[in-house]
Amino acid sequence: MEYGGIVLLDEDKYNISKIIFSKINRKLTLLFIIVAVIAPSFAIYYFYNLSVTLSDNITPQTTLLLQTITASIIILIAVDAGVIGFFVSKSISKPIKKLYTATKKLEEGDYDIKVEIKTGDEIQRLAEAFNRTTAALSRLEQERKELDTAKTDFLSITSHELRSPMTPMKAQLQMMQEGYFGKLTKKQKDSLNIITRNADRLDKIIVDFLEISRIEAARLKFNFKEIDPSEIVKETVKFMDGFAKEKNIKLKVDLDDLPNIEADPDRISQVLRNLINNAIKFSEKKSKIEISARLKEDYIEFCVKDYGCGLTHENQIRIFEPFYQVEGSQRRRHGGTGLGLAICRGIVESQKGKIWVESKIDKGSRFTFTIPLKPVRKIEPIKILFSRKGLIERKIKEEFKTVLGPLGVNEFEELKKQNSLDKNDLIKYIDNLKDNHIITDERGIYFKDHISEIYGDKKGVINEKKDTSENVFQDEVIKRN
Amino acid sequence: MAKKILVVDDEPDIRESVKMILTKNGYNVITADNGDQCLQKAKQENPDLILLDIMMPGTPVSEVVKQIKDIKIAFMSVVRISDARKRGLTSQENIVDFFQKPFNVSDLIDRVEIILNEE
Repeated sequence: MEYGGIVLLDEDKYNISKIIFSKINRKLTLLFIIVAVIAPSFAIYYFYNLSVTLSDNITPQTTLLLQTITASIIILIAVDAGVIGFFVSKSISKPIKKLYTATKKLEEGDYDIKVEIKTGDEIQRLAEAFNRTTAALSRLEQERKELDTAKTDFLSITSHELRSPMTPMKAQLQMMQEGYFGKLTKKQKDSLNIITRNADRLDKIIVDFLEISRIEAARLKFNFKEIDPSEIVKETVKFMDGFAKEKNIKLKVDLDDLPNIEADPDRISQVLRNLINNAIKFSEKKSKIEISARLKEDYIEFCVKDYGCGLTHENQIRIFEPFYQVEGSQRRRHGGTGLGLAICRGIVESQKGKIWVESKIDKGSRFTFTIPLKPVRKIEPIKILFSRKGLIERKIKEEFKTVLGPLGVNEFEELKKQNSLDKNDLIKYIDNLKDNHIITDERGIYFKDHISEIYGDKKGVINEKKDTSENVFQDEVIKRN
Repeated sequence: MAKKILVVDDEPDIRESVKMILTKNGYNVITADNGDQCLQKAKQENPDLILLDIMMPGTPVSEVVKQIKDIKIAFMSVVRISDARKRGLTSQENIVDFFQKPFNVSDLIDRVEIILNEE
């Protein structure tokens, strides 16, 4: 089958004679023929000599001798087999192993990998084809990187260009409003108010876009200094209290005895403000919001908990996406740019922290983010423009392929059509497979585990590299200590 | 006598808007649209304050400010600049303020007034 595969790759057509006369088969056949010829030749030579010297009398000794000779022949064949093994290994197993290692490297994202195989047969051709494929992938990766840079640059330049005209526009508007050009009628005033409000909103979106472009390009600025995290929480809460009072909402603060940390107070405050602001928006009047900060191992965990409308499972994942709108929500009415949480995620992850939400419909939501005790000075780009939904769906599709084979893709597409890719739907679906003995129990558990992992059941999994991010986070801190 | 302010910005609409605001509030406003012109007018007109856009084509603003020692300068910038960089930019003694664009009209006037009143 393997040879078939190679032939198929090369010639496009399944051809039995080509398989039989493939170079590997010819090699193997040649080796076997050598063995088959050499061993009996030795035997015949011996027997010929024997028959010449002992032609007339066959004694028991002769029998013994003949037995010994038979044994030697067997040993010879064994040695030959060893020799064949050696050659087979040299010409087939080793290159295949090489190819396998290279494939693994490719999987890990090393697109510059090349395999050197000089066997002069199909394996060499396979290796050459592999090298051409990696070269093509490498080229694609290069193009992808260029596109990514172009996107970030475009975002950044556009935001700047969009922001410039805001200055004279807003200045002229304000001058009109303040009566620089004469007294205004009520209708004119109302009209100007609408223009100003929307100009402000547009400006906010542009500012947020700029922030996103900085996060994506690892150009987010941090001003690290030694600070008391409790103070930041208290100051931010004090600042937000005015907004909370409008809806008669109580902001309750619960703080551990926290050590001083080295961080950017403005950035922490920015994230907190955003979360408290959201909590106020989605809380009923006269309810409460709890804000806490705790020391955990080597980071501080900040929490904002509300007793508002809560989020569905899908919304919990997607709420950190730019412009993601929770169905049925009245975000437009609430104002805001729709970029706040995406920026929060960018800020937190730029510091190798995590941000996540736990929520129950109608019970409320709890947003948590972590900030390391020591700052991360080398800022890495964070991809916040990508939809997590697409990523999750791709991963689920891969699991389907792994567990169910090619059939899995069809099944996945079918479920997607029915809009049944929610975690609970999938768990039910897997149980069904198990009950109908389509997959083993063991396989079912594996499947479920992987689905749960994709949906980030291990808390705080926001990033794609979920498991490593924890390590990176700790390594970073240890290194700095 | 009305205080004289030199507004330097490469964007005519911003220049014009700032000029309108300040004129309305009783200042004598002259304008320039790049760093070289700014130096020239600063010498000729000897204004009390220069409102200087931080990013303009031509001679870099950092070079321009080095040549102006005895006139108060306030920067204007559309790019948000971190506090740390602001401190670096305002290290020169005659650089007295920093305006973020888009600015608030009444805030601009208040601050200009404060700058020009402290002697």
